[in-house]
Amino acid sequence: MKILQDYFEFLQLRLPDIAARSGEHLMIVGLAVFLGCLVAITTGIILTRMKEGPISGLVFGIVNIFQTIPTIALLAMLLPLLGIGLKPAVFALFLYSLLPLLRNTYSGIKEVDQGVIESARGIGYSSMQRLWKIEMPLALPFILSGIRLTTVYIISWTTLAALIGAGGLGDLIIAGMANNDNFLIFTGTISAIILALVVDFILGFITRKNSEQSQQAN
Amino acid sequence: MPKAINILSAALLALLLALSGCSSKDTIKIGAATYTETKIMAAIYKELIENRTDLKVDVIPDLLSNSMILKSMGRDDIDIALMYSGVIFNNFFPVKQTTDRESVLQQAQEGFDRHYNLKWFDPLGWENTYALTVREDVAKEKGFNNVSDLQNYQSEMEFGVDSSWMERKQDGYPAFIKHYDFNFQKAYSMDVNLVYEAAASKNVDVVLAYSTDPRLIEYKLKTLKDDKRFFPPYDASMVARNEILEAHPELNEIIDELTGKIDEETITRLNYEVDINNRSERDVAREFLQQKGLLKK
Amino acid sequence: MTFLKEVWTYIKDNLDMILIYTGQHLLMVLFGVAAALIVGTLLGILCNRYPKVAPIILSVANIIQIIPSLALLALLMLYFGLGFYTVVVALFLYSLLPIIRNTYVGLQQVDRSITEAGHGIGMTYFQLLTKVQLPLAMPFIMAGLRIAAVIAVGVATLAPFVGGDGLGREIFSGINSRNDIRIYVGAIPASILAIIADLSLGTIERRLKI
Repeated sequence: MKILQDYFEFLQLRLPDIAARSGEHLMIVGLAVFLGCLVAITTGIILTRMKEGPISGLVFGIVNIFQTIPTIALLAMLLPLLGIGLKPAVFALFLYSLLPLLRNTYSGIKEVDQGVIESARGIGYSSMQRLWKIEMPLALPFILSGIRLTTVYIISWTTLAALIGAGGLGDLIIAGMANNDNFLIFTGTISAIILALVVDFILGFITRKNSEQSQQAN
Repeated sequence: MPKAINILSAALLALLLALSGCSSKDTIKIGAATYTETKIMAAIYKELIENRTDLKVDVIPDLLSNSMILKSMGRDDIDIALMYSGVIFNNFFPVKQTTDRESVLQQAQEGFDRHYNLKWFDPLGWENTYALTVREDVAKEKGFNNVSDLQNYQSEMEFGVDSSWMERKQDGYPAFIKHYDFNFQKAYSMDVNLVYEAAASKNVDVVLAYSTDPRLIEYKLKTLKDDKRFFPPYDASMVARNEILEAHPELNEIIDELTGKIDEETITRLNYEVDINNRSERDVAREFLQQKGLLKK
Repeated sequence: MTFLKEVWTYIKDNLDMILIYTGQHLLMVLFGVAAALIVGTLLGILCNRYPKVAPIILSVANIIQIIPSLALLALLMLYFGLGFYTVVVALFLYSLLPIIRNTYVGLQQVDRSITEAGHGIGMTYFQLLTKVQLPLAMPFIMAGLRIAAVIAVGVATLAPFVGGDGLGREIFSGINSRNDIRIYVGAIPASILAIIADLSLGTIERRLKI
């Protein structure tokens, strides 16, 4: 019981610090995923407009290589190019977010029934109209699940950003290791897990709402 | 036999074999922190111990802090490490406040023996502490050797220091100017990695640097002697677990071989080779030992 | 250009060290993933045999997967101390989920009629498992192994954080002393290792499918 009491005191004392680190953490994740969505969804759409061939294979190949490179190696390699701190962290995590987002956008649009597209063409929809009115809404569940998946993993990986001076919850873990403070290590860990679970829950909720709506529309 | 079972059992067998082969008792583990000179000393002692004995030495570098290293020594994960006498002021055991070199060293040697069962060897010869530095040409022109030599000029000088020191109450900037009765024209706080360049490019006149940083050489900066003893002493010493010294008594003599042998200039030069000339610690360590004639064939 | 030359000189002077780091790196990955392959396959079989425990096992493995690697290493270090074993245990834990899940999915994929035919000719559960189900699930297990290996190569780069060896040593040194040469000398081989693991295990996976 003593340890719980100690921990509670520790939490009260360090709450501002924990909140600040969580804020930094969420900002890095948010920026990375936002940029990832921007680039990956656009690229995904463009790829579906082209014939399947060497270009889409090449794009997927490159994005897959980003995914394969060890996180700390990628973060470190960006240091000489982008300096220390937020920039390399956001950029590295952005590269990681690409594959799940791109894959889900691409297959989401590809999955759309050709018959639906043909009939849209039949009633005179332009290519843009087809994209916005038919394909994107139908592909949205795929894209959302890609966002959900990638965000949860990026929340976990963002802890490593602290190693290159970008802050976030990893700072608590590193400070805990440096000062032999187990409460700090524990708090950093739990905060990151809770953050991931909460975001997973929220995005899951949005995904469900979205699919319910589209079912009602049908 | 199906393939799956074959692969599984082969993997299991390999695992068992490897695990049984891995536990070797005669390995000495030397810990090092994130900065270069601790890694150089670890590499030097690895070469030295492997040269003199049949023991195998593993270096464990990039450990986050001295506290982490000392704690790992407590749980036998590390046997030997480089430490600085001034660490006693980081709440390891009760200490008497002083800046007297002898007294701090003595407290470190007695305290860590009693509370941590560690042997704190006599100093290697250099100190890595905060140091006031000026450009060499200015020092020559004005005849600066000691910090108090700045007395007649300091009110016109600009001072660059790292931001954390600026904030520190007991041993930071406010206490420092009081101790030396200084009143700098202006004090800039910046990241400690920027002070060297700031001094070299004449943006500021005096900077607070780390005394063994090779950039002092790179940027031609001169360290002034802390003649009124404001900064706590940070004499570098090797520290080893008493138990490992009992198990391998020959280590006592080997570790002592470098006692008093490495002055500030030497360690700064070694740091320079690694940090500025981009060589590995191992290369630099070997070269150092060969030059000193300490490696026996 | 001078930078590339400096990288090259550093590699030339320290090639033996870099090779040792690579070996240490592979050893950690091998131990962690091999242990996970054994335990994970068994747990996957368990999930398939007892559908009630499947969600429990899978969600525990799932939670482990979202623990940040830095945190998992720090927590394991409190118990296992500095070095090799802490890293191997972390790699083992991270490799579990892909292997359990893929074994489970692979076994579920096996056509019920094939299993029933096996029953019909009097095969025991164990015979059925080792002679029919596992071989058919092999491509899935391989896919899990591939994911696990790539993750493990990545997490093993963090070993120096808890006093371990491997290619991460040069990366951490490079970050801590802001030495770009060492960053690349560590990060490039580590990346290549991960890509090779991905490609080679991917090739084996495709061969098994045919």
